[in-house]
Amino acid sequence: MVERCYVAASLDEALKIRKETGAHVLAGGTDLMVQFRQGTGISPVFPFPVVIISSVRELDDITAGDDGTVTIGALAVPARIAESQLVPYPVRAAAARMGAPALRNSATIGGNIGNASPKGDLPQPLIMLDARVVLTSLDGEREMLLDDFILGSKKTALRDDEIISAVRIPPVSWSYVFYRKIGTRRANAISKLSLSALMRFEDGRIADFRAASGASGPKVIRSREAENMLKGLDDAEARAELPAFLDAWNEALSPHAMPQYRRNTTRRMLEHFITSALEHPQSEIIV
Amino acid sequence: MEFTLNSKTVRYEGNPLTRLVDFLREDMNLTGTKEGCGEGECGACSVLRNGKLVTSCLIPMGALAGDDIVTIEGLRETEQGKCLISAFADAGAVQCGFCIPAMVMAAQALLLADSDPDEEAVRLAISGNICRCTGYDLIVDAILLAAKRGKGLW
Repeated sequence: MVERCYVAASLDEALKIRKETGAHVLAGGTDLMVQFRQGTGISPVFPFPVVIISSVRELDDITAGDDGTVTIGALAVPARIAESQLVPYPVRAAAARMGAPALRNSATIGGNIGNASPKGDLPQPLIMLDARVVLTSLDGEREMLLDDFILGSKKTALRDDEIISAVRIPPVSWSYVFYRKIGTRRANAISKLSLSALMRFEDGRIADFRAASGASGPKVIRSREAENMLKGLDDAEARAELPAFLDAWNEALSPHAMPQYRRNTTRRMLEHFITSALEHPQSEIIV
Repeated sequence: MEFTLNSKTVRYEGNPLTRLVDFLREDMNLTGTKEGCGEGECGACSVLRNGKLVTSCLIPMGALAGDDIVTIEGLRETEQGKCLISAFADAGAVQCGFCIPAMVMAAQALLLADSDPDEEAVRLAISGNICRCTGYDLIVDAILLAAKRGKGLW
């Protein structure tokens, strides 16, 4: 049976349709239109009702609050995210390398999160930055850490009556920052592996260190235990602690395929970032 | 639901999940837009949506309310389109031709954003468009030639 398809002109209308019918949200279409395509000349057929929200203009703003929190509307596309000076570097860098130019004009941040692929490009830096996801229903809004919202591969904590409406990135500062995506070609490459990391020095000691590994397990991997091993250390202490840190990060990974490649390459990227940052170079972006 | 297609208003009442590429080719007979992979990987179905490059195989008709769509058939009627098309011909950029309408649309999207691109910008702009004749260098030459000849057009 062909399920119903609805088109919503406002968030309120979309929320009503979602609550009444359980319709799945179609935003950019770059995942769903591929997954349920039937072939040339035939319209896609979905096994569930669908509500198209592409025209809901109220959901595509990128704004900064007084406290420095950056809010990205769920329908913001990677091309705009990559260009926005409000958005922290690792998220811009990830957005700039998603798919190809055409995909970056269609895909949405809400869809990339809702799809919850472990290889999704945006959740990885967002989780490093402690981003929160805003979930809206007819009953109001709730917010949760993106790291808690994504439960595993293709699994999220989204309720049947909710729509992902925005992502909030709390204020962040770093002395050094890193983003790397490893793919097989320059466009339309699905991440084989990705890593974000940042380090902030204060009075000669590491005041903050964070990292996030993409495509290295059923969801984006962060090990706060491993991160804490480096905090409070001066340069010499951090160098001495580095092997133990790298082992601890490696323990947290659970790659499903090519584990040796993913483990070795993650270790080398982290080692490169940390040793480079401990040299205190001029450029805050480590490449 | 209404949107603009090649400067004309179109009213659409059909299945909102019908793909834009099928609507263009089957309903409107605008067969310049090609379907290659149907998965957004090859770029052959690229058109402009509000001045930005998109793959029409991934866009359901229900997403188009109020949008402005331009296909190769619309572009070729404009001075910018004529400049691009003659540059492609003069540079010898067209081999089998299947990828070319979308390559021209990618070039147009680039020139709308950056009227004086360098080679790297051109290569990035067509990075999502596959040419299986592998004629990329001549296509890059063509786009740079159009930018040079068309000064003031974009």
